[in-house]
Amino acid sequence: MEALVARGLSKTYRGRDRPVAALDGVDLVVERGRLFGLLGRNGAGKTTFIKIAATLLLPTAGTVHLFGHDVVRAPERVRPDVALVPQEGRPFYHMTPREHIYEYLRVRGASSETATARTEELLDAMGLRAVEREPSYRLSGGFQQRTLVAMILATEAPFLFLDEPTLGMDPFARRQVWEVIRAAARKGSTVLLTTHYLDEAEQLSEELAVIEGGRVLYRGTADSLRSTIRREVRLQFSGGFTTAELEPFGKVLVDRQRLVLLTARASVRELTELALQRGSEVTVGPVTLEEAFLELVGRGIEEDL
Amino acid sequence: MTWVDQGRAVLRLCYFNGIIPLWRSPLLIAAVFLTPFSFLFFLKVVAPAAAFPYGVVGGILFTVLFSGNGMLNDCAYLRLERQLQQVFVASPVRSFSYVLGMALSELAFTLPALVLFLGILAAILPISVGGFLLLLGVVLLTWLMATTLGFLISTMFRQLREIWPIGTLIFSGLAILPPIFYPANVVPSDVQWVAFLAPSTYAAQLAERAAGLSTGSLAPAFLGSPVFDLIGLVGGTVLFALAAAYLARWREP
Repeated sequence: MEALVARGLSKTYRGRDRPVAALDGVDLVVERGRLFGLLGRNGAGKTTFIKIAATLLLPTAGTVHLFGHDVVRAPERVRPDVALVPQEGRPFYHMTPREHIYEYLRVRGASSETATARTEELLDAMGLRAVEREPSYRLSGGFQQRTLVAMILATEAPFLFLDEPTLGMDPFARRQVWEVIRAAARKGSTVLLTTHYLDEAEQLSEELAVIEGGRVLYRGTADSLRSTIRREVRLQFSGGFTTAELEPFGKVLVDRQRLVLLTARASVRELTELALQRGSEVTVGPVTLEEAFLELVGRGIEEDL
Repeated sequence: MTWVDQGRAVLRLCYFNGIIPLWRSPLLIAAVFLTPFSFLFFLKVVAPAAAFPYGVVGGILFTVLFSGNGMLNDCAYLRLERQLQQVFVASPVRSFSYVLGMALSELAFTLPALVLFLGILAAILPISVGGFLLLLGVVLLTWLMATTLGFLISTMFRQLREIWPIGTLIFSGLAILPPIFYPANVVPSDVQWVAFLAPSTYAAQLAERAAGLSTGSLAPAFLGSPVFDLIGLVGGTVLFALAAAYLARWREP
């Protein structure tokens, strides 16, 4: 069952000198109950996509249906089913985390009992208990972001849009939020998430799409993204090789004065034997999602040039 | 959400943006008091005693009109700086409920100043019950007019810094330039009609009548008609409310 279906979605903004295409014929399907990651560089079109799907912005062309309802023509049918963590949002200045969660639920029509129960649950799950009665202006940026995310996740809306939800959070807080996002998906919410933390995308996304220049470059799982780039193995050499020697085998990166080669499985035996002959220390592992992403988007950019 | 739920959402939004900030930062009230009471103070010092009641009426209207500027700044701040309007757009809360909730929160800010001004007016003038009710009606319409205008403008810009001067310009044009702190017949007769380009002038005329003050004779004579003033105020309010309903960008184009 499909929760979100986008067809030929385009958005062109009026630029200062010329029109700027933020989305250019995007086709995307998100299945119900899925945790879906939307990846892309800054300005790739991720937030524009979320804004259109969440009924905040009108597209220039194309359609988006959410649970069968057209987000352009019937936004009032879509809105009860969605909740959104906006990019770089901030909570109300004077309100406490407890008030944010409880009051927002009440504004959305939740009963007092439901709102109270979810508030208690989210305050604990998001690590906000210690600051639950502090006005948000006294909170650090990380706690403010947690407050905003808690407020939205507490809605248990059927479709959750999370635009960079862990921005500015420490690694512990991020992991707490991941757990709450997973719990929301377990309860049946469909989650569309954007993030620049590729480890987060890998941890959370059952499926992901990569957007570049307003177009979908890739859609699938993180594992299949690694296969797509046909360089699924990562070799790190402590020395003994030059960049020119490794380039025929794949993509060479320099990581803290060490050479890293992204290559196909077939080349691993030859290269490790060569490394042993030269006395070079070699570490073998899978390509990280970040490396696969850089490779994929890098190719996309080259093709555009 | 049912209409009852929407009504609750209105009250909760008022609580978010009006009651909680006032409770935690009571000094915010001082900002609302400062300008109209300064004007009143100057009038008391430099003008004849007969001008003082007009100044009090003007203070009431100034306070209500500037709640529109507060609406403009708050809505723009929540939309552009905190991205919180988006959180309400992507929810079952209707735009109408959001606007009304925010407008009520602005009324909460102005309420202490309004009560004080009304108290002063009641102390210096024998206002009838009918006059008092008419005055409240004028305050209500002026509040609706100013806050819907404030919301409309808040949705039109992408940068907060662009909005600040626009708000000051528009609400000064409504609350300082027109004759609201003094009777309209003080304006030179050949340009009195210009004052009636601002709907706040009609509000001032009606409020002065409600308080039992003379509005004097105006040129042309129909400008002094209460019916004309009522049409002007109601028309202005309906016009701004319709403009907000159809032109405000709840969803970005």
